[in-house]
Amino acid sequence: MAEDTAEKKSFLDSFAEVSAKIGNQVHLRSLRDAFATVMPIYILAGIAVLINNVVFPLFLTGDALANAQYWGNAVIQGTLNVATIVLAGIIGYCLAKNKRFENAIACVVIGIAALCIMMPQSVNSAAASIQDFTELTYKSTTDKDAEPYTVTREEVESGLAIPEGYEISSVGSSSVSNVFTKTYTGTNGLFGAIIIGLVATTVFIKFSQNEKLRVNLGEGIPPAVADSFNTMIPMLITLAIFGLIAALLHGIWATDLMTLINTCIAAPLKGFVNAGPWFVILVYTLANLLFCLGIHQSTISGVLAEPILTILITENMAMFAAGEPIPADHYMNMQIINTFALIGGSGCTLMLLADTFLFSKNKASKDIAKLALLPGIFNINEPVIYGYPIVYNLPLIIPFVLIPDLFIGLTYALTCAGILAPCVVMVPWTTPVFISGFLAVGGGTAGVVAIIWQVIEFALGMLIYLPFMKVSERAQAKQAELANAEA
Amino acid sequence: MKTILLACNAGMSTSLLVQKMQKEAQAQGLDVQIKANPLNKALEMIDQADCLLLGPQIAYAKKEAVEAAGDKPVAVIAMVDYGRMNAKKILDDAMKLMGE
Repeated sequence: MAEDTAEKKSFLDSFAEVSAKIGNQVHLRSLRDAFATVMPIYILAGIAVLINNVVFPLFLTGDALANAQYWGNAVIQGTLNVATIVLAGIIGYCLAKNKRFENAIACVVIGIAALCIMMPQSVNSAAASIQDFTELTYKSTTDKDAEPYTVTREEVESGLAIPEGYEISSVGSSSVSNVFTKTYTGTNGLFGAIIIGLVATTVFIKFSQNEKLRVNLGEGIPPAVADSFNTMIPMLITLAIFGLIAALLHGIWATDLMTLINTCIAAPLKGFVNAGPWFVILVYTLANLLFCLGIHQSTISGVLAEPILTILITENMAMFAAGEPIPADHYMNMQIINTFALIGGSGCTLMLLADTFLFSKNKASKDIAKLALLPGIFNINEPVIYGYPIVYNLPLIIPFVLIPDLFIGLTYALTCAGILAPCVVMVPWTTPVFISGFLAVGGGTAGVVAIIWQVIEFALGMLIYLPFMKVSERAQAKQAELANAEA
Repeated sequence: MKTILLACNAGMSTSLLVQKMQKEAQAQGLDVQIKANPLNKALEMIDQADCLLLGPQIAYAKKEAVEAAGDKPVAVIAMVDYGRMNAKKILDDAMKLMGE
């Protein structure tokens, strides 16, 4: 029996050790730090989206509404629409900090510059909206050999009639060639920011640490001058390489890295995360189990699931702001976790606290519940996890891990069934339950449905926690008895 | 004046503990200052501190913290003390660590 527990312990220990290793991997950790740093601007965007699309339409219409919404659109322009550029810089900074590289600010520059180097230099006409055309080319739908002909915008606007049997074959849009397209500066480019930011910073740090690239300017030169050269040369080499790659991609395949990343990496990943709730459930099972061993769950979930889930919710916000419907491959996102499966913190422990207040006779449990209630309302629950405790307490580990899984699965299923609206607003994870549900789906009737679902979740969670709480209290009472008998 | 640095995942739950420890220190008439930060920030500030306490949720980072801390004492707060916010016990342990 003793050997048995020893073996079990060592399995748990190695699980914890492996998890800590994954969570501490420098690139993954930098990614987690970067998203934590950039979070405020996403939250801000969420507030702007809510006010613009939910609050203003309540009492404004027509031009007045459009004028008021200019405010929200301006905030979105400065947050969501530049999210990729901001993230690339922050990733550079976080990676530099985590690698203990001195010149972190140079890494911010590298991240942003390398990203922009990889952006397309012109907008192809398909990406431009048809309203932006400068000329239209028509071809015959009946006669294949007929010459296509082109009309200019002025001609169309002056009321030129198009002969029957012709349709638009291409839209000329020379006027959009001289813009910095926000196709990839907004939420669509976040994957690119991650990959390019991490790679460029890593390469830059490698070059900076290379002794051969250091300039020796001799004794009389102030050290600051030498330092500036020592940053400049690795920076030049790094960015030149990225420029070369951009030129090759454009010259040979007529494409750019941002497009490649989006089609070859981002799209399949999003599909994978949304091919049912299974991947997310697996990650959070492991993550919550890890918390039961005393190590913070974000060690795993923060690196394996949160970056992609966060990208999905920011894209939803952008689509919601633009009045577009949310596609099914965006139903699973960060808000399903933070709003519907993390009520009162990891493991939905607020329900355990409610059970404790109503049904527990154990004084120690009640004391800790009192202490943990206020932070718990804001979804902070370390006091419960370590004090109740959940850690190494098998009866409570079971519901702690199972309830979030159940809620992720059910919330996702309800969204797919069309009962619950998909989440479209990023709400801070510290937002109390019920308020969080109402805001996450964009308020209104959908918000009320979300609150009802959270109420059902709350009742369900209390029901599941209750028998396990009783078992845990009985075990604790027995232990106390044994301890007394020994003493 | 001694400075005790607390580190945890996001600095959220530890800041709760800081308040309680600060009160406890005042009650005991100790001349200490207590600060909570996320791990990375805490490691940067280590020069201004006299000891570093890690929340149990980042116990795995102890090795890294010890390396960064040099000769300053580093310890992980016991899970039960942390959960029950036992400020007195944690403060007493910290004072012992600093040889007071």
